[in-house]
Amino acid sequence: MRRCLDEGILQSYFDRELSNEHMEAVTSHLVSCMKCAVAARELEGEVLLLSSALATEFDATVPTERLRHRIDVAVAGFGLGNQNAVSEPVVLAGRGWLQSLTTLFAFTPQRTFGYAALAVVLAFAAIVGSLQWGQNPSPTIDSKNNIANVALAPPQAPITKISNTGGEPASNVVPAPVAKAPVVAGERVQRTRSVRPHTTVSNQALPQVKLLPGERSYLKTIAALDSTIKAGSNRPMRPALQAEYERNLAVVDRALAATRNAAKKNPNDPDAAEFMFNAYQSKVDLLNTVADARLYNRP
Amino acid sequence: MSGQVRALIQSMPKESATAATALSFDEAFTLHHRAVFRTARAVVRDSALAEDVTQEVFLRLYRNLDSTPGEELLRAWLLRVALNVARNTLRGQSRAAARDDEYQKTTNEVWFPQPEEDYERRLAIAEARRALDRVKEPMRSCLLLKQQGLSYREIATTLSLKETNVGSLVARGRKEFVRVYGKIGGR
Repeated sequence: MRRCLDEGILQSYFDRELSNEHMEAVTSHLVSCMKCAVAARELEGEVLLLSSALATEFDATVPTERLRHRIDVAVAGFGLGNQNAVSEPVVLAGRGWLQSLTTLFAFTPQRTFGYAALAVVLAFAAIVGSLQWGQNPSPTIDSKNNIANVALAPPQAPITKISNTGGEPASNVVPAPVAKAPVVAGERVQRTRSVRPHTTVSNQALPQVKLLPGERSYLKTIAALDSTIKAGSNRPMRPALQAEYERNLAVVDRALAATRNAAKKNPNDPDAAEFMFNAYQSKVDLLNTVADARLYNRP
Repeated sequence: MSGQVRALIQSMPKESATAATALSFDEAFTLHHRAVFRTARAVVRDSALAEDVTQEVFLRLYRNLDSTPGEELLRAWLLRVALNVARNTLRGQSRAAARDDEYQKTTNEVWFPQPEEDYERRLAIAEARRALDRVKEPMRSCLLLKQQGLSYREIATTLSLKETNVGSLVARGRKEFVRVYGKIGGR
């Protein structure tokens, strides 16, 4: 080898990365070439310097035991993760759902108009709702309305009489929304207090007429009591009782129709609405009495 | 398997996949955890972070035991993953030095030098690191891996270089390191 050695070959020679033939050729050249021999000695010194300089970096103790423990734990966790791989998508799906929910509330310029429109619609709905509420008769009792035999009750809470198993007189009427649950035929009578018919639930059996505010709950209660009475038709009423019941029912219905018409004509008159609800309550009381008597086989 | 690991495996020389017998996971850890930890530490400059990196490297090995190269090039594979993970870890990590001091205080396995020795040692490490920082890639990584005792073939595999170029890169890196180190240390 006559040509001088380049630094790569010389480095490879010192790192013993050359083939045997190449190593011998380099050795023989270094013997014969003073320039390359000087370069080789210089390289040797630099390699020693580099090694000692980097030794401080690489001589730091390796925490073998801690690394082993950490890796064992990580591998065990990875194994467990594989076993739970089936449930993972559910968790991820849940996270995704939550994320989509949170991003829904993130305001972006594109959504600004959408949120503004939604706000306008909600505000409009709130105004309409408050107006409707204003038309609904107040539950406060005016002293001049205490002319009816039936106790006054909040308009949306028809009062059914308390019917005790001990057979107390059925004429007890309380001025509070204490009600008997609508009775289903064949079932034992459930006696719960404060059973208020929900005004929001729509009754499919109701006639398709425009109902006044608060009427729906009374109609539902009446329908329930009526079905209870009719369910006991295998045990006919005594004729006298039947006649009395129908007569009373007709009177109550006429009163109800009259007060309802008045309330309809004067939607802003709280007194008219109050009378109508009193009539409703009278009908509920009557039906309650009859239903109770039918269920407990009393005359 | 992550895309990065898959790319690493695919970029390995084809004969490496069938070379030699496969090591068990425990054997791989016993043989190579020091090289992985030290290489990671040389990059992240923080012992606690280097532990994190080492854990991640061996976890990836565990996940890909079936597709990792055989014994001959396993160390190259591990160090390649270690360099990648360490560089990713380093991004956004600016607390290495402070944490390293804390780590040295808390660990029981690290040798505690005397105050004077400690100062000199830390000074020497700082000088070596500053000089190493001035060496450009891939020469710097060549020096790091050479210091770990890797062969040119392993270095070429780890850094995706031609094996015939490794000698020149090591030589250039060494010269640059010595030049800067001499200036810093006044040698």
